[in-house]
Amino acid sequence: MSEPMPMPMSMRLPAQPGEVIDREERFSFSWNGRSYPAYSGDTIASALAANGVRIFSRSFKYHRPRGLLTASHLDPGCTIQVGEEPNVRGAHRLASPGLDVRSQNTWPSLRYDVKSVNRLAGRFLSAGFYYKTFIKPRRLWPAYEKVLQRFVHGGVIPDRPEEHDAEARFYDKRYAHPDVLVAGGGPAGMAAACAAAEAGARVLLVEEEHRPGGHLRWGDAADLTLLAELRERVSAAGVEVMCDAVVLGRYDDNWVAVVERSPAGPAFERLVKARAETLVVAAGQIERPYVFAGNDLPGVMLSTAVRRLVNLYAVRPGERAVVLTANGSGDAAAADLSRVGVDVAAVVDARHGEDVVRADGRGGVRWVELGDGRRVDCDLLVTATGWTATTALLNMAGNRPVYRPEAARFVPDLDTLPDTVVATGGVVGDGTREALCEHGTAVGEEAARRAAGAAEQSGEVPSRAWPGVKGAEGARAPSAPHPKRPDAEGLTPEPHPELIHGRTHGFVDLCEDVTSKDLLSAVEEGYDSAELAKRYTTATMGPTQGKLEILNVVGILAEATGRTIQEVGTTTWRPPYAPVTLGALAGRRLEPVRHSPMQRWHEEHGAVPLVAGAWIRPDHYGDPGAEAANVRENVGIIDVTPIGKLDLQGPDVAKLLNLLYVNKWSKLEVGRVRYGVMCAEDGVVLDDGVTGRLGEDHYLMSTTSSGAAAVWEWVELWLQTEHPDWRVHVTPVTTAYASINVAGPKSRELMERVTTGVDLSPDAFPYMRVRRGSIAGVDDCVIWRIGFTGELSYEIHVPSAYGLHVWASLLAHGEDLGVAPFGIEAQRILRLEKGHLIVGQDTDGITQGYSADLDWAIKLDKPDFVGRPELAWQRQRGDHPRLVGLLPLDADTVPPEGCQLVEGAEIVGRITSSRRSPTLGRAICLGQVAAHLAEPGTEVTVRLPDGRLTGARVAEQLASVDPEGARLRV
Amino acid sequence: MGSSRSRFSAYSLVRQGVSGRPWPRMWRRHELESSYDAVVVGGGLHGLATAYYLAAEQGWSRIAVLERSYLGGGGSGRNTAIIRSNYLTPDGVRFYDHSLRLYADLSAALNFNVMFSQRGHLTLAHTDASLRTMRWRAEVNKIEGVDSEVIGPDRVKELAPSLDTSDRVRYPILGALYHPPGGIVRHDAAVWGYARAADAHGVHLHQETEVVGIETSGGRVTGVRTNRGLISTPVVANCTAGWATTIADMVDLPMPIQTFPLQAAVTEPVRPFLHTVVVSGSLHVYVSQTDRGELVFGASVDPFASYSTRGSLEFVEGLATHVLELMPSLDRLRLLRQWAGLCDMTPDFAPIIGRTPVEGFFVDVGWGTYGFKAGPAAGQALAECIAGRKVPALIEAFALERFETGKLVGEKGAAAVGH
Repeated sequence: MSEPMPMPMSMRLPAQPGEVIDREERFSFSWNGRSYPAYSGDTIASALAANGVRIFSRSFKYHRPRGLLTASHLDPGCTIQVGEEPNVRGAHRLASPGLDVRSQNTWPSLRYDVKSVNRLAGRFLSAGFYYKTFIKPRRLWPAYEKVLQRFVHGGVIPDRPEEHDAEARFYDKRYAHPDVLVAGGGPAGMAAACAAAEAGARVLLVEEEHRPGGHLRWGDAADLTLLAELRERVSAAGVEVMCDAVVLGRYDDNWVAVVERSPAGPAFERLVKARAETLVVAAGQIERPYVFAGNDLPGVMLSTAVRRLVNLYAVRPGERAVVLTANGSGDAAAADLSRVGVDVAAVVDARHGEDVVRADGRGGVRWVELGDGRRVDCDLLVTATGWTATTALLNMAGNRPVYRPEAARFVPDLDTLPDTVVATGGVVGDGTREALCEHGTAVGEEAARRAAGAAEQSGEVPSRAWPGVKGAEGARAPSAPHPKRPDAEGLTPEPHPELIHGRTHGFVDLCEDVTSKDLLSAVEEGYDSAELAKRYTTATMGPTQGKLEILNVVGILAEATGRTIQEVGTTTWRPPYAPVTLGALAGRRLEPVRHSPMQRWHEEHGAVPLVAGAWIRPDHYGDPGAEAANVRENVGIIDVTPIGKLDLQGPDVAKLLNLLYVNKWSKLEVGRVRYGVMCAEDGVVLDDGVTGRLGEDHYLMSTTSSGAAAVWEWVELWLQTEHPDWRVHVTPVTTAYASINVAGPKSRELMERVTTGVDLSPDAFPYMRVRRGSIAGVDDCVIWRIGFTGELSYEIHVPSAYGLHVWASLLAHGEDLGVAPFGIEAQRILRLEKGHLIVGQDTDGITQGYSADLDWAIKLDKPDFVGRPELAWQRQRGDHPRLVGLLPLDADTVPPEGCQLVEGAEIVGRITSSRRSPTLGRAICLGQVAAHLAEPGTEVTVRLPDGRLTGARVAEQLASVDPEGARLRV
Repeated sequence: MGSSRSRFSAYSLVRQGVSGRPWPRMWRRHELESSYDAVVVGGGLHGLATAYYLAAEQGWSRIAVLERSYLGGGGSGRNTAIIRSNYLTPDGVRFYDHSLRLYADLSAALNFNVMFSQRGHLTLAHTDASLRTMRWRAEVNKIEGVDSEVIGPDRVKELAPSLDTSDRVRYPILGALYHPPGGIVRHDAAVWGYARAADAHGVHLHQETEVVGIETSGGRVTGVRTNRGLISTPVVANCTAGWATTIADMVDLPMPIQTFPLQAAVTEPVRPFLHTVVVSGSLHVYVSQTDRGELVFGASVDPFASYSTRGSLEFVEGLATHVLELMPSLDRLRLLRQWAGLCDMTPDFAPIIGRTPVEGFFVDVGWGTYGFKAGPAAGQALAECIAGRKVPALIEAFALERFETGKLVGEKGAAAVGH
């Protein structure tokens, strides 16, 4: 079953004038386990072709052998696995020493593939066949599905995240701010880039191939001379050139994404995000395949593929050729082949009505049948039947291409483009190399002028780009944009016969194995619009996304439906223009993390981390139960830095607070703090926290940790959209302060040891007051006397740079008092004992204020506040669920949070918070219960996760420990 | 199925392959008639299902489906084809469980393989808060008889080895809600299957037919104006997404709906490696691998209301970042295509389906990001609602009047990214 050993580089030609290989640098790489020689500059495909390899892959459905068709990035026949990288475009990726290259989805070998028996079954595997079978019995479908999955046409992705080496798989991003971005480095694109740069613009030229030049690269001596001149000019003009890079998409306001596939430096790929003042689309044309029987055989190639192979890589594409030509590219390919000694057995001129009927052969072309019935033996059939303008980027800028039957292609309707997008080169029309350069030059100059105009209008500093990089004397003064489009004149599409398919059926989409017959059947079955037919047959859904085959698909559908090609219309080109790795899109994967200034201390003292949104904070330090008990007995300190903090200043702050909180704020005196609850317009609890009045017009608002950003936005929303006249300055200061809660019966004693300038005695600084003073020598600390934990406690907000110092000082000064840190888990236990709710845990997305046991806080006698009408309505209805304290009848069963309360099969509530209380030595819970169960003393049924039922009693109040609050007020 | 239509089967596939005869049409084209007994606006999954069940189960005839573009061109062709029933509220669980059961039998019922791949659905938890919500969902699901359980990281790793379950990542996987009945369906096939079956029951499918107005008289629907002419009808069902408010405006019925784009993307195919649906609410991403080998990605709705169906660069950048956070070895997988669809969001993230104050005007709208999962059940229930005197119990909770009575559904609690 092994392939015969090819002669080393048996198909390599002598040196060609435009070749891009370096014959001095020779190396070898591996293809399906066997070593092959290559030259530097070879693509994987060109190196293999030079060694006589003709089959590179097996097709998707029928596992037909496939060879080179375009010999470019778009080649559907040369998708291969390179090491751990799947779906590599072998006709584009450069060969390099030691590469491990394999064909994809072939077994046991590329040459003898078992699944190619599907070819015999082809008549039964028409498009969409899977919709029509495997229907019954239902239980067998999973087995059928597994068989279908075996035919998946792709490479292998490594599936071992444990072995993933993020360092070695480095991707990067870059922002660019070019005045002019030129997409496409053919002659027109290069000329445009030069002209723009010479006019003083900063220009970025993006070229998908490994060198700029477009079709000049495989052209004649005059083409090569011009190419050398243009490259010289590009370099002299200071144009930044990115090769092996492609523009992925044009988004709003010329936000242009480019991927560099082989950037300099350590990155595997790099995403460049450019805001271009003017975008010049010079994306050229793509040669179209021709549809006929056998059009996918290895040895059937486009004229541009032949020209690339011969002129760039010095590879002989075959020994004996038939050339079907309708244009100069086909003629030139025939001439190239003759020149290098390939026997051109027949030139079939489609311009004179001549045609190819079929190609046939096993494993590759052996003969072709011509329109006149002749049968010609050959191993190479070259087709040159027309072009597709690469309008994708223009389409993304709002353009709808128009079909020109006389030129047999869609062309852009330039008048529909914004002023900031211009086009040049083959995408606009055809011309000699001189005409292309001339058009490119005119467009490039205008692009620079428009970019300058835009810069001027936006008040940009002129010296940034004007006068130009080449020195002031070379720069032209910016002037108003040309009223007329610069790209509309000079290049027109040449007449070309409309050649889509021959007399026989063949493959239309080679990626997806869709034939012209499949398309006709689809229309006959009723999938008679372009979109339905495409979706049903999957034509244009494969990796080329229609770039090669779209016009053939549209043409065949037009014929089948009796519409014109214009009526059927071309596809909506969506980004990305070319497939792009997830790595490049993700870049360095910088996921921000927020830590308090005390984080290092926590880590050094065994804190178990808790991921809480953007924050990572200590869950506990080993024994949360003991931490909680220590707060009840002695004194504990907890890092509560993530608590949201907003500094509010101005004479109208009280109005703002009255609007956003459900309770009253107008009488809050300086030096006092108050607990507040915010509801949204629908009355749903949004956030809660404590706000203190630091001065006459100065307040500090605190929010929940998870709600910090949302509340800030909420406050700004109301100020900016409803009350722009209110004088309130809002400054988020969450991370400006490190926040520490000092809690426990001995907290006053501890605080007294470190605080100066504040009288901490109960009378001078009672519960719910705020003072400012100095702690551990740090001035300007804010001290709130509040009690989330239910203990005497002080929440201190310290300028963040001193957070660790204050934290350490508290620990150092409280050793004899038994001070110890406590984490989130202990705090949750303590607050649950105290019956303090957590918004988002004890409430959910539709919990309105009266369902959160906030009746005491909601002041409907206030004239207005956010959520008031809904809350008034809720109270009036009175049938809402309520948040209650729940005591499990079995004191040792702690029902997990999320457990449902049931009455028979009916759900009547749920456990929202649940812990074993170290203080009471029993299970305690909070829960949402239906209105009829909210009465204290009611027994409810809790369904445990394993299905067992257990009882719980509704408590008198939410708090289980110290409901009167005596411990808070000492 | 009508007897005139040949049935699809392995046998028919062989017979057609041997004979080379063309397949019969999936659906026919008709002249627009001047009157119908019912007009369904929207030729997507919901509209076609409604028409099908109205004809097949309620015995109605003279039904028209009006589609301004092609069948399934809206949300039906733009969603990520995920099916599940592990919702948060009992009403939601019951409804989507029924829909899932209809999906499971749909291939046989419609004689068209919709390729329901019941491969299991994992919702990852990266925070203890999401773990708590998942336990809540699992408990509600169990009570409603739906298979859901909270599993730990080891079990997650068994089900999806490509997930990085280590603690070296930014958002470690703490566990997951595992829902074995969940999976994916070939979304277009569901549309075409309903269209074919509706056609076989005599429903007229009118593509490229845009509704431009709805006629009423004395608070009742009397007709529909289209770009192809006037239809008189006593029943109009608004089964649109993205245009739900536009159509409702035609009878002066304001809908508490805002329309947001929801973006999605697909990669090139690779060999099958991901055999469950994976969702991460915290990372705003869901992933599944199709039978073609492509990875299909979706996320949460765009942050602002819009009718745009264009994709953004920010979306794919964020998506790729989040996917690689979950599955770091996918870095060399290539994104092939991105697109957007429109989601009609209601205040409580639950749909609006059933009767309206305008007699004869029915709605099946506001599905947000859940429309595809709901299609069969919504169609069946709306058909029952149109034909019967009583609103089916399955959709009672989703009535328009809940926004007046205040009885919201509360699916919002689990909806951060609930696919």
